[in-house]
Amino acid sequence: MAMTKSQRRRITSGVRYVVLSVWGLMAFFPIYWIISTSFKLDTQWFAWPPYYFPSPPTLANYMNVWFGAEEYAQTQYAISSQKPLISLYNSTVIAVTSTFLSVLFGSMIAYGVSRYRILSEARMFQLLMLRMIPPIVIVAPLSLYYTAIGLIDTRFGLILVYFLTTLPYAVWMTKSFIDEVPLEVEQAAEILGASRWRTVFEIVLPLIRSGLVATFLFILILTWSEYLLALIITKTQVTTLPIELSKYQGSTEGRVYGRQAALAVGITVPLMIVGLIIRKHLARGFSFGMVRR
Amino acid sequence: MTVAALSAAEAPLQASPRAVSRRRAIRRFKLSLLAPLIALFAFVLMPVLLLQLYFSVHQWTVYLGSWWDADYIGLDLFKEVLTDPRFGWAVVRSLAFATGSTIGCFVFGFLLAYLMHKPFRGQAIYYIIFILPMLTVPVVVAYTAEMMLYQSGPLNDVITRLSGIEFKPSWLSDPHLALMTVSLLEIWNWTPFSFIIMLAGLTAIPKEPIEAAEILGASKWRIFWEVQVPLLRPVILLALVLRFLEAMAEFPKTWSLFQGGPGSATETLPVYIFMTTWQYFEISKGAAMSYIVMLLMIVIVLFAIRLLRREKRSLDKMYEQTDSPKVEA
Repeated sequence: MAMTKSQRRRITSGVRYVVLSVWGLMAFFPIYWIISTSFKLDTQWFAWPPYYFPSPPTLANYMNVWFGAEEYAQTQYAISSQKPLISLYNSTVIAVTSTFLSVLFGSMIAYGVSRYRILSEARMFQLLMLRMIPPIVIVAPLSLYYTAIGLIDTRFGLILVYFLTTLPYAVWMTKSFIDEVPLEVEQAAEILGASRWRTVFEIVLPLIRSGLVATFLFILILTWSEYLLALIITKTQVTTLPIELSKYQGSTEGRVYGRQAALAVGITVPLMIVGLIIRKHLARGFSFGMVRR
Repeated sequence: MTVAALSAAEAPLQASPRAVSRRRAIRRFKLSLLAPLIALFAFVLMPVLLLQLYFSVHQWTVYLGSWWDADYIGLDLFKEVLTDPRFGWAVVRSLAFATGSTIGCFVFGFLLAYLMHKPFRGQAIYYIIFILPMLTVPVVVAYTAEMMLYQSGPLNDVITRLSGIEFKPSWLSDPHLALMTVSLLEIWNWTPFSFIIMLAGLTAIPKEPIEAAEILGASKWRIFWEVQVPLLRPVILLALVLRFLEAMAEFPKTWSLFQGGPGSATETLPVYIFMTTWQYFEISKGAAMSYIVMLLMIVIVLFAIRLLRREKRSLDKMYEQTDSPKVEA
């Protein structure tokens, strides 16, 4: 093969762009599809051949699903009574509160592990079990227990389980940040007479604040999109957005793709924004801080 | 590296009252750091696990009156579950689904990461597009799949147009395809996970061995297999193990899209437990099943943890050798 080095390099680079672009299209097409469906009129949701572009684009789905707008509520597909806004409120409160608790207490445990070894390495790995055992195995007794103590169908109940199930991520991820803080700072604080609590809250945690933000946003992704526990613990009084979306499936015979898509886009877009903000930290998050970047 | 530097270990041999009170204060401090975890275990996890044990040895369903005076039946339910062929098939399906999707995620994720680990024009854009599937809500993935995969839907249409051959598999109603459909969804959804982990690994491994091999004239192929892959072993195992465990627990997509059907083609363990408990209301059988699955998973997880512990050590060593990233202020 008579090829110069630069020719070969150009071919390799070309192949790379082709492969990456093909995968890029495959990754993006479903996302494009749900966004475009959310702007389609009801006759185009389920047409053959499929409509690849909404023509003309309409806001009817959004107006009806999110705001229950009357003029869009006349069709047979009108099923909203502004409930998604309540679910949005629930989802926000539950996800933010549980994530906050998880990061706050998780970082304190992580500090203890990093500096005082309050959990041995073996215990730290056992903590991962909270995440690695499928939650389905405890949901039935959990729901009966919650019924007994009056936490079923409450925001606090769901907050508590999310707190528990995301704690391993919080501990491990914040520990990986705390481990990177040099000890000298704390020793100096100790010599200057700062109490242990002050050292944690006024020195160490502020030093890793970007890490704490990353951990917070990462866990927010998990709590925002959780489905199974929400499905079982919350029933009528409290629903989160993923459950609200799945209700659209069961409640109607026909396919209400446009409405579902409008709701789905509203649920997913905040998640994508959050995820893209912390895109550099995702590997660390998903690997419990074991892989760093 | 840490304990001695900060605290207790400096206590002199003959403990002065000051040292004693200091040590006590430290113990109190440590305990209060742990308190929330202990409280969660005592008030949430323990009662739930005990209840689960109770239900798995007592016969109770929702229409049998108060659960606290249900009949004790010993291990009958465990026997029933273990001889239930449906349960056996659920185990097989779960393992097949988890294995298949893990391998799929890994192969594609590694390929993409390998193509991306050196800087090139447009890298950032590709990175953003590639991680988007991971940032969608699983339930949304399920409904998007439903909107795209019906027989005359956009996916089949696109493939037909591109290839010129009539392509019409019924992804959603063919029992032979259904589990594969969920696996493909899982692969679409979570390839980004393997991708980001492998990319982080590829950019973190030391450059010197690779450069040395290049100077010695090794081919790219040999460098890949004999230098990069061994260096990447911890990251590879991490990506495989964590993905496999998550796939074993997959529920939202499988359930929202198929509810176990068509027939029982997508009845994985989580789905079967869910159906037993919340559709047939056989709470006790569900509890016994959960117990067995929990034990099975504990065995798998303990094995996984042993693996992870070993690999984390070599990872930490690697980060110590290469200059480890510092906290960005």
